[in-house]
Amino acid sequence: MVSRTTKLLFIGPGVAYLAIIGLFPFFYSLYLSTTSLNLTRPRRSQFVGIDNYVQLVTDPLFQKAILNTAILAVGSIALEIVIGFLIAKIFYEIAHLRTVNWLRTLFILPMMVTPVITGLMFTYILNPTLGVANVLLRMVGLPESGWFGSVDVALLSVIMVNVWQWTPFLMLIMLAGLMSVPRELYEASALDGAHWYQQSWHIELPALRDVLLVGAIIRLIDNLRFFDVVYIATRGGPGDATEVISMFAYRQSFQFFNMGYGSAAAVLILFITLFVTTLAMRYLRRVENG
Amino acid sequence: MKRRTALLMAGTIMATWPMLGRPGRAQDSQIDWASELGKHDGATLRILMIQDPWVSGFEQLNPIFERLTGAKVTIDAFSYDQTHEKEVLEGTSQSSQYDIIVLDSPWVGEFWSGEFVEDLKPYIEKTKPEVIAWDDFVPAFQTVAEWEDTIVGVPFGAYFMMMHYRKDLFEKAGLQPPKTIDDYKAAAKHFTGNPDFPGMYGTALNNARGSAIGQSFFEWIYNFGGKPFANTVPGNEDPYGDMTPQFDKPEAKQVFEFFKEMLQYQPPGAESIDWEQRAATFTTGKTAMITAWSVRTPGFYDPSQSQIADKVGTSVFPHVEGTDGVPPLGGWVMGINAHSGQKDLAWDYIKWFTSKEVHKQFVLLGGPPSRISAIEDPEIRAKMPWVETIAETQKHVYAECRPRIPESFEIIDTVGLQFSRALQNQVTVDEALAELQTSIADLMVKGGYTVQQ
Repeated sequence: MVSRTTKLLFIGPGVAYLAIIGLFPFFYSLYLSTTSLNLTRPRRSQFVGIDNYVQLVTDPLFQKAILNTAILAVGSIALEIVIGFLIAKIFYEIAHLRTVNWLRTLFILPMMVTPVITGLMFTYILNPTLGVANVLLRMVGLPESGWFGSVDVALLSVIMVNVWQWTPFLMLIMLAGLMSVPRELYEASALDGAHWYQQSWHIELPALRDVLLVGAIIRLIDNLRFFDVVYIATRGGPGDATEVISMFAYRQSFQFFNMGYGSAAAVLILFITLFVTTLAMRYLRRVENG
Repeated sequence: MKRRTALLMAGTIMATWPMLGRPGRAQDSQIDWASELGKHDGATLRILMIQDPWVSGFEQLNPIFERLTGAKVTIDAFSYDQTHEKEVLEGTSQSSQYDIIVLDSPWVGEFWSGEFVEDLKPYIEKTKPEVIAWDDFVPAFQTVAEWEDTIVGVPFGAYFMMMHYRKDLFEKAGLQPPKTIDDYKAAAKHFTGNPDFPGMYGTALNNARGSAIGQSFFEWIYNFGGKPFANTVPGNEDPYGDMTPQFDKPEAKQVFEFFKEMLQYQPPGAESIDWEQRAATFTTGKTAMITAWSVRTPGFYDPSQSQIADKVGTSVFPHVEGTDGVPPLGGWVMGINAHSGQKDLAWDYIKWFTSKEVHKQFVLLGGPPSRISAIEDPEIRAKMPWVETIAETQKHVYAECRPRIPESFEIIDTVGLQFSRALQNQVTVDEALAELQTSIADLMVKGGYTVQQ
């Protein structure tokens, strides 16, 4: 029988680590969010109760940031699933080729690029005056775009960059799922006269559902803390077209140094993330239990 | 850096080496640096600054200081926003990692109230007047460095906003460089979509959301005859005594509408143009004229950085007819980190680097002229024709053209958001201005300023 002291000795370091890394910052942020602390005027800091939260939920910029983040998350994940599935299917079909490993490695390269570099790269590519994207559009006779500079397409441009970088992640997950589908199911359905799209709909997609849900939840969490590309490429602009919640919290905390208000935003973002991921996990569990 | 430029810089330093303080040759310099500076063998002086074009000037000159004092000098340079963020975080954490903090003029009040920097008045008082030569700094820039009876930094990098235009195109078009805003509009219209100037656009403005367009408002409002706050006008003894915002005045509306009108004369995607891109449209020959800070002017004239190097002319910033123009003033001062453990070494460096003679060499290496003696220096004038425009501009500048209070960064960013929204038709100009009038007034009230309701 292991003694209570031994148990505590084993558990202690883990609990202490969690307390220092996770709990202390959380409770400190919670405390800061009830003050009016600004780092450049620290002596004027006062206890303000829930004022920061009240101001936050009525702040039109924060509301826009939530809307933009939701559009970014839903738009990106939907496109990543569709494009990722099609590419996974191609890789599945050409699995017998000798070059397939090279092609797969090439395809997952975007995922390995640091998001800051991705932001910089696309800032140059999508520069309306000097970038290569508009040159290509001109060459094929299509109208040029303002990309990050146009209020109508800035968020779409950000989604496009996000999809470019993270489609390989969902593609890999789905490819692994496809590999696990028994060959007999394809053979039996082929005998019954099923076309490829019917096989995809009735065999592959149901088989991929669980892995896809896990992948989508990971991507949802990623999108809720999406920051680097917006910080580098648009700073939330033009206007408030690409303002996302993490950019909003960063600006308040590290540009205006409104630590009270910024902490309130961070705490609210944490609860939104928890709420959304809990819902998704519950759904996943329900699916798993049939 | 191009080999030719590097050789030129090295040659300049070699030629001026004796004058800058070779020990025992005081007769070559007006100041005997050997006795003026302390010995700091083995010490390392750390400077935190922005990554602007003049950083290489520092790097070229620092070996001389190292030779004089025995100290090693290191520089960490970051982008504009990152510099502000890092400096504030260094200050709030009372870090002694850096000895010298290089700060932008709108941050002066913020850094003083945050207790991040030393009051340099006592340091200046104990230094020989001929070393610091305070009265030789551009007068408005002396004011920029002062806050509440203290001196927060010593000027070294005054920026003046000037008009930069293509001499060849203006000559071909028979136009004069624009003096008024109407001239500016007319010239921009003339060069855009004109078959005589294929592929050319009239101009480019700082339209990108955030500091870029936010600062633009403060640069143009005075030149439309307006002001951002009730008391911030040249000549007012108490510029922050009444901080009632003036976004409900016609001049503010004129600035917003001017930016919207000018979009048609700018390259595609102009809505996201910032300082870098504005300069790039000019140096790549896409725009006929731009307004830009004088810190970029040497780059416009440098063939290794500019495709139109031999075709550039400069003139004073335009303003509406019938008013006194107030060309924008900005730039950097050097302060001592309040938590540095090497304040004497930091002061030695500041008084050496900002002295008349070292400043002249800094300017010759591409630094921004900030002293009257440098602006009037015949050698500098001969090598840098644009300094003549600086000489004229500096007579009309105003130290408070961008507010220097602790809330400055937030004010500029808030203006930048609404200005950008109006430019992009997300809201009307009237809606954006009404929102600004309310939100900036709230910010000022929260900061404890007087606001007339």
